[in-house]
Amino acid sequence: MQLLLQYLSSGIATGCTFALVATGFVAIYRVTRVVNFAQGAFAVIGGMAAYALLGRGLPHGAAELVAVGLAATAGLLVGLVAIGRRGSPPLASLIITLGIGIGSYAVLILIFGDQPVSYDGLPGSAAIGGVTMPLQFLLVVAVTAATFALLAAFFNRTYLGRALTACSSNPHAARLVGIDTTRMGLVSFALGGALGGLAGVLLTPLQPVSFNSDVGIAINGFAAAVFGGILRPVTALVGALVLGVAEALVAGYSKASYESGVALVLMLALMVWQASRRAPVEEAAA
Amino acid sequence: MTVRGRRLGVWIGAAVAVGTLLLPIALNDSQLTVYVFIGLATMVVAGLSLLMGFAGQVSLGQGAFYAIGAYTAALLAKLLGVPPVLALALATAATAAVAVVVGLPLLRLRGHYLAFATLAFQLIVLSVIGEARDLTGGDIGLPGVPTLSIGPLALEGQYRTFIFAYIVWALAALALLLNRNLVRSRPGRALRALATSEPGALAAGVAVGRFKLQVFALSAAYAGLAGGVYAFFLSYIAPGSFPVLLSIQFLIMATVGGLGSISGALVGATVITLMVQLLAAVGTLPGMPLHAPAVFSYAVYGLVLVLILLLLPQGLVPAVQARLGARRAVSAVEASAGEAA
Repeated sequence: MQLLLQYLSSGIATGCTFALVATGFVAIYRVTRVVNFAQGAFAVIGGMAAYALLGRGLPHGAAELVAVGLAATAGLLVGLVAIGRRGSPPLASLIITLGIGIGSYAVLILIFGDQPVSYDGLPGSAAIGGVTMPLQFLLVVAVTAATFALLAAFFNRTYLGRALTACSSNPHAARLVGIDTTRMGLVSFALGGALGGLAGVLLTPLQPVSFNSDVGIAINGFAAAVFGGILRPVTALVGALVLGVAEALVAGYSKASYESGVALVLMLALMVWQASRRAPVEEAAA
Repeated sequence: MTVRGRRLGVWIGAAVAVGTLLLPIALNDSQLTVYVFIGLATMVVAGLSLLMGFAGQVSLGQGAFYAIGAYTAALLAKLLGVPPVLALALATAATAAVAVVVGLPLLRLRGHYLAFATLAFQLIVLSVIGEARDLTGGDIGLPGVPTLSIGPLALEGQYRTFIFAYIVWALAALALLLNRNLVRSRPGRALRALATSEPGALAAGVAVGRFKLQVFALSAAYAGLAGGVYAFFLSYIAPGSFPVLLSIQFLIMATVGGLGSISGALVGATVITLMVQLLAAVGTLPGMPLHAPAVFSYAVYGLVLVLILLLLPQGLVPAVQARLGARRAVSAVEASAGEAA
């Protein structure tokens, strides 16, 4: 029982970081219909930048904030390349983001080296209901909850957020009322970058991150996003928590190397199930 | 295509074929190894280009089929003592069979879902190979794969790489020829309809699902065959030989050459392999930092993919063909205008 609760808590913490990555996918996909393969790279940029800044003597908090800002800038740059040219079909944009993801390896190795990095998160641990867990777990959960609350307020209450939602539900109508859909696409990429960076900043103390960790992070985030059809952040959150807990249980009770397999098989089954409920032939979305 | 255009194509094809046949004589052993790798990549990319260009499906899992082919051929030859040529044939068939089984559910997905699904498939295949230690040697790899042999004639000694080069390029030429005939046949017309509009093709009576699955299986068979030859050539394979990056590399080659272009597979595989080899040579020059080769190759993969998609989204070969075609059309118009005057 004790062990089960331990696994649950670590599963929820990693699940929260998946949720942030997944929300990044959702934020970008909703507005631009581009699935951003470089989403995992944002998390790596966030984690490695925070590590480097902490090493330079920046205090906790400031280093993480700057790192998230860098990831958001990276997101903006990816957006400029991927959708800056009008009329790129979404599938071409997918391959472009894949190219950027691979190209980012070169930049990351040059700046941060090719070794995995990690840094200490929140020190200490707390006992809740007889389970001791690192405070970093609680921090991850709290930050994720706050981020989701802020995102909800952003999308529902602010002008910019509502403009983004308008672009996602009907881009033509959004342009008719004077919303610049390309600029909104870039905003969504920057937002996706920030969310990915935040995930990386929180994840790096839990598990070391290296330049090519992005594939694993992106796969987990995408798997979580698939729960909500890559459109609904809250469903993605639920998906991410299910995924995180399932992986922690498999890693705990069976073999650690099966951990990633769970996410993959779950994702495949879910996607095929969703696809089988759709019409067998769809016209490609314009 | 005009008669002149076709004649030009035949001449270029003949020149490339003769060049391919003569080139190994002038190459040393390490250059021949690169030559073999270009041939293997051409086979894989020929399948991927067909899949992406005609069935409109992105696969990030060709590396998995390459691995399945390699391990099947290696295990059959090493553990069961199956003659290598038969092992190659069985590996090709087994890879195609795996593709059918995997493709039945996965090909219901499209676009980015299929891209992620095939990527996931490759990760699963790699972890299965890594886990089945008793059979595959796990992450340490499988050494001592026998070399290719026909009856008592084993491929060994001084001319081993030289002969391998001819075998690989004969197979690559076969794959390209098969593609060409396939595209021009009745199923090829159905595939072209599929590439233009899936619902349109379905409405015109094309069995869309079946054709997609067949192209997927064919592309896997090419990759499986290439993987089998790779195993016999290197005589050592490990999961690390088939990283996700390998699949991405095949995707880059297919995109650079031009999706759905028959000769594009050859051009894409050649251009990218040579470019990476050149940069690796530059990266290992004295005075270069230790991680220079890796940095160069990642940067090139990224830059090439992004630039091609932004500037020449149809790929190199179709772009050049369009340029030549346009010039011919202009000169034809000028000629007829001259006659009229």
